[in-house]
Amino acid sequence: MTKQLAQRLLGPVTLVLLALTIWLGLWVTPPDKIQGQLARLVYVHPSVAWVALYVSFGTATIASALYLWKRTRSMVMDRVAHCAMEVSVVFIALTLTTGSIWGRPTWGVWWAWDARLTSTAILGVLALGYLALRRANDDPTLRARRSAVFAILAAINVPIIHFSVDWWKTLHQGATVFTANRTLLIHGIQAWTLLISFVGFTLLFFWLLRARYRLEVRRESVASAALEEALLARQREGAPT
Amino acid sequence: MSSAEAPLDLTPVAPPRSSSRSRWRSIGVLVALALAILALLSQGILHSLNYFETVDQVLAKRASFGTETMRLEGVVKPGTISRTSSGASFTLEGSGTKQVYVDAHGSPPQLFQADIPVVVVGHFTSATSLTFYGTQILVKHTASYIAEHPQRVRAPNGTTR
Repeated sequence: MTKQLAQRLLGPVTLVLLALTIWLGLWVTPPDKIQGQLARLVYVHPSVAWVALYVSFGTATIASALYLWKRTRSMVMDRVAHCAMEVSVVFIALTLTTGSIWGRPTWGVWWAWDARLTSTAILGVLALGYLALRRANDDPTLRARRSAVFAILAAINVPIIHFSVDWWKTLHQGATVFTANRTLLIHGIQAWTLLISFVGFTLLFFWLLRARYRLEVRRESVASAALEEALLARQREGAPT
Repeated sequence: MSSAEAPLDLTPVAPPRSSSRSRWRSIGVLVALALAILALLSQGILHSLNYFETVDQVLAKRASFGTETMRLEGVVKPGTISRTSSGASFTLEGSGTKQVYVDAHGSPPQLFQADIPVVVVGHFTSATSLTFYGTQILVKHTASYIAEHPQRVRAPNGTTR
């Protein structure tokens, strides 16, 4: 009952939080002292980056690990990993796009080959590589195993991205929320709006994941039904007249 | 019983071992992936993972930098910005009294102002000079977000800190 209620409320709650983010971000929060109105992108870019790196890629990695572990191995885990990685590709693209839009007027360039941006671009290539690897393998078990191993190895890039601004000198700013000494560098209504956007985009990921997962189950069901029909047709061919 | 009457055996069988075609396709994907990643890494990052050198670092090893093109990072010293027809000249500060004079060509970004960290792309005008010829200015804004207050007092140099 609770699960069904949660599933029903997921979509509306997500929409409300995203609408709240837009309202607060565009009209209620004050401009930034240095960046002025440009800083309003802080209510979008960090949130989609958070989802891309940790929530979606993290879900794909955990599901892959659970698939490889014999106790929890099931095609459900493989399906979750696959769907989460597809959504991850979307969010990584959004991260790079919103970052670029923000970078042009603030930094002065659309793109810079610093450690943060380059490693994030590599993550996008890795996510696409995961999907390509799945298409290269027809056998479901082999496909699941190979892509699971790949996802876990690709996840090594995530802490590199996270710590890149600390390990190396980058044009990209350092952390505003998850700072090394746990100091929050944003306050008041700006901080609350940022928090709402984080929650809103996280729920958006789960909403998309659920929709994609259901689509995948239906796709497999249609494929399975088509196979059964083909087998029946072959049986009829062999039956005596 | 004739072969036409024998029922079809549809008992599930174990899947065949991976075909070599599937294995080669996987290898192809991984090779393409590795090449794509190498291409991304080759964009300067393989030369140095650090995007820029600071004023302190450069002045400490001035001779080693010579007149090579590089990215120099520092804070724009208040009161030193002079807009020219071709760009702007200003002083970049490091820690303490370490400074580099920058003669930059090209329009500075929108956020360019005093007391802000910037990265200047360019080179020193000679092997021993402390004048940096810039071809591009990038603003490296900080991670802090502070709400603008319309009543905040501005200093004569235009800063609000």
